[in-house]
This record gives sequence, structure tokens and C-alpha cells, in this order.
Amino acid sequence: MNGMEVKAKLVEGTAILYPGAYLNQLRGEVIEHRCQALLDQGVRRLVINFAETELINSIGISILLGVIETVNAANGTLLISNLNESNRELFEMLGLLSHLCIEETEERALAKFHSCA
Amino acid sequence: MIKLEMRKMLHTIAALTDLGNEINSSKDFDEVIRTSLHTCLGTLAIPKGAIARYSAKPRQLKIVAAKGLAGVVGQKIELGVDEVAKIAARTRPIKLTAERNGLAHFVRRNQEMFNKLRAHLAVPMIVQGELIGVIYLSEKLSGEAFSDDDLTIINTIARHIGLAFYNQRLIVSLKRRAEENRRLYKEMRQVYHDVVRAFGSAIDLKDAYTKGHSDRVARYSEAIAREMGLSGEELENIGVAGYLHDIGKITVDRAIINNPRPLTEREFKELNKHAVTGYEILANIRHPWQEIAYMTKCHHEKVDGTGYPQGLRGDEIPLGSRIVTLADSFDAMMTDRPYRVRLPLEKALNDVERNTNSQFDARVVTAFCRLLLKELNGASRERIIIPMIGLKFDRAQIVSQLEAIISQFEEISLAV
Ligand SMILES: [Fe+2]
Repeated sequence: MNGMEVKAKLVEGTAILYPGAYLNQLRGEVIEHRCQALLDQGVRRLVINFAETELINSIGISILLGVIETVNAANGTLLISNLNESNRELFEMLGLLSHLCIEETEERALAKFHSCA
Repeated sequence: MIKLEMRKMLHTIAALTDLGNEINSSKDFDEVIRTSLHTCLGTLAIPKGAIARYSAKPRQLKIVAAKGLAGVVGQKIELGVDEVAKIAARTRPIKLTAERNGLAHFVRRNQEMFNKLRAHLAVPMIVQGELIGVIYLSEKLSGEAFSDDDLTIINTIARHIGLAFYNQRLIVSLKRRAEENRRLYKEMRQVYHDVVRAFGSAIDLKDAYTKGHSDRVARYSEAIAREMGLSGEELENIGVAGYLHDIGKITVDRAIINNPRPLTEREFKELNKHAVTGYEILANIRHPWQEIAYMTKCHHEKVDGTGYPQGLRGDEIPLGSRIVTLADSFDAMMTDRPYRVRLPLEKALNDVERNTNSQFDARVVTAFCRLLLKELNGASRERIIIPMIGLKFDRAQIVSQLEAIISQFEEISLAV
């Protein structure tokens, strides 16, 4: 099992990850490994695009918490994009919103990063 | 707010459903436990946690899965007898940070470990009053205290995971027992076959000229039966019948058996009793011996109805007996007897051919010839007959003789 299974791309130093349905299963642990690998390469800005992730389950939440901790530990910044209404409510209910910045779209997330830089 | 409560409930129900599916899946057990831990943590957004399995000998909790914690899997927490009892009696998660949790000494002793685990809650997994393990949980990501509802949810999840451990232990012990039974069964079968072989040798000992006869008849019979397409218990029984076909001879006077002169009428009558005596000896033994006993009884029957003891014809004679009859006669022809030396292979095959459809079953004869032909051609990996009959024969001549017998009787035997 390696991180290459997770779709991802690099745009002007920002990594964008597409966890799809991977997030909701044990195999989703590769997302955290992939983030760690990117951070090790010096990437500090990450976007997770949830466009293809319909309903995040508890495994998905657990894995996402791992990603948040990994990014924080490396002083990186994590933005979430394309989160649907149900998942947004779930994040709110679980208190994740105070630990995550959410942008409507991937473009907006990238724009936010690049205006800061 | 109502919407969020509803969202929380749906998330929890979904988590419990996922957990149930996971636990009942046929996945690798370590995977099941790691997934269960994720489910537990994700239900309430708890970033760190670990699952420890309890073992009574030695009395300890061993971390088998962890999330968000490095280097803790495999670590152990020792427990005292009273501590096990105290934890097993808990029906709610234990707040490790609480002053009066009733386990102050235990917590103090393992403080370093609990720090490493970032453990805030210890949730005992109890099945039927027995401590199965403990789930350690950090604080929630939000930093909010665990509510009563949260603790109820955690307890429910812990019960599920506890049951998974309990069932896995049952399955492992069942597997071990099944394995043991298989081994015992194999041993018993070995003993069974050793006993059968020993009986065969005992029969042969009575006759100075028939050393190894039972063993050869058993091997020939099995090989012919296999060539005829038989397998499993049926094949095995025919082999056993091959070993034991003459068991009735143990009651016949040794002087008659070893008599080098032609036998008198009275002596023949006495000798021929061995088929029925053999049946009587074997028939009282349980299944599958009734068949073996009857095969023994019929091993001197002839397909034309002129044999003994019942004068059965053709298919009235059990197939196993028809096979043993040929194997028995062939071996008798190929070994020295008190009244004559062994026959050359060519002559023995002539005898077989001449007596086909009178003494011998044509299907059995053609199967036997096919088998011998395969052994001569090298087409058969196993050589059963050739090593027993020596090499004093003209190979090409025997091959054509066998082919002639097969073509002569095959049609008839196929038509039957
Ligand atoms: Fe006999």
C-alpha cells in the first residue's frame, strides 16, 4: 500500500489531494502518509478537495483528524474545499470547524493561499 | 441545533452499523481492530486512541492497535488481581484524570504509559463479566468534556469491539480443536491400516508359500479398482478386502494349506470353508466392514456361476470380489506353489484370457491389462505390478498379447 493510490497534484507549491471514497476505509490511512511525504518534501500548503467524497463516515473523520495533526505538526496550512452541506454539518457538529478553514471551491482555496504568499 | 442533533445521531448510527459490518466481515482480524478503532475515534472526533487486549497469563493489557500515537503498539500494562476485578466491575468509562476513580494506585503506577497514550478515558471491554481489554481515548478534538451521551456511545462501541475479541478467541480455539481432531483421525486411520496389514501378514504366515501374498493382492486390487475409475472409500475397502480375503484360513488346518499333494475331496471341502469363515469373522465389525466381509465371502465366486460358496453369477458378485479374484489368481500363478513353480508371464496371461467370462469378469480383465500395458509403456507413473513379477519376459510379445486381450474383451465389457 502506498500513497500513490490517492489522486493528488501540485500547483505552484500547493498540494491538492482528492481523497474520493478512500477516506472512508482503512486504506484511507494512505492519505495521511501522502501528506507526510509532501510535508517532508517541503510542501507547506495543502488543499483537500472533497468533491468526490459524498458522505464522510467515522473512519473518514478519524483519518482526517490524523491529517490535521500531521499538517499542524509540520507547521503547514490545510484548506478544505468542495465540502457538501451534509459533511459541513457533520464537521460543525464534531467541532472540526475551529480547526479547519473551508473554501467553497478548489480555485478559491488556491487563490487564498496565493494572495497570502 | 435540532439539525445538528439529528446529524450527530445519524453519524453515530452509521458508525455502529459500520462497526457491526466490520466485526462480522471475514477480514484479517488486525485490520478489523484497527478499523474499529478508527470508527470509535471518528464517531466523536477523538484524535488519539489505542486498544489493549487483556491476557490472564501473564495478567496484562497489551496494546494491539493505536491511532495518532507512535511506538505504543506492543507495549504492555501489568495488572494486579484486584485491579482486574475492579476494572471488570466498571460499567462506565473510567476518567483517568479524576482524583477519585477508585484506581488511583493503578493510574499512578502507569502514569508514564498513560501520558504516552494521551489517555483521558479508559473504557473497559467486558463480555459476560470477563475483562477482554481496554480502549484508551484522548480528549476530543474540540476540547469539550465528554457528555453522558458521549460516554454511552463509547460504551456501546466498546461492547461491540469486546465481542469481536471474544468471538475471535472462540474461533481460534475451535480451529485448534478441529486441527487436533484431524490429526487424531489421521493417526487412527494409520493405525487401522497398520492393523489390516498386520492381519494380512498373519494370514500369509500360515502358508509357507504365500509370503507377501496378501500385500500383493491388496496392491493389485487397489490398482485395478483405480484403473476402473473407483475412488475414495470404495477403493480403500477393496484394498482392505485384498489384504483380508483369506482371513478365514486361520481356522483351516495348517497341514491342509501346506499340503504338497493334490487335496482329497474332504480336504477341499475343509479348505473352501475359508470364504464363509472369513465372512463370519469380519461381518460383526461396524461399517464399512459389512461390505469388506461380503467381498471376502465372494472371492472364490466365478462369473459363470460355478464358484463357491453361493454360485453367484456376473454382477451378483460384488465388483470388489471380482477384482480380488483376479488379483488373487494372478499372484498365485506368478509365485511358486508346493505343487508347481511359478508360470511365465505369457502363460499366466494366457490363463487369464482363457478364463475370462468363466472365472473372471471381462471388465476387470481389460482394466488389469490396460494397467499392465501402461506400466510397460511407462505411461503410468506408479508401477504396481511390474516390480512384483520380475523382468523375465519378452516385452514386445507381452505388449501385443495384452493389446489382443483388450481388443477381444473391451467391446463386450463396454456393452455391459
Ligand atoms: Fe481364498
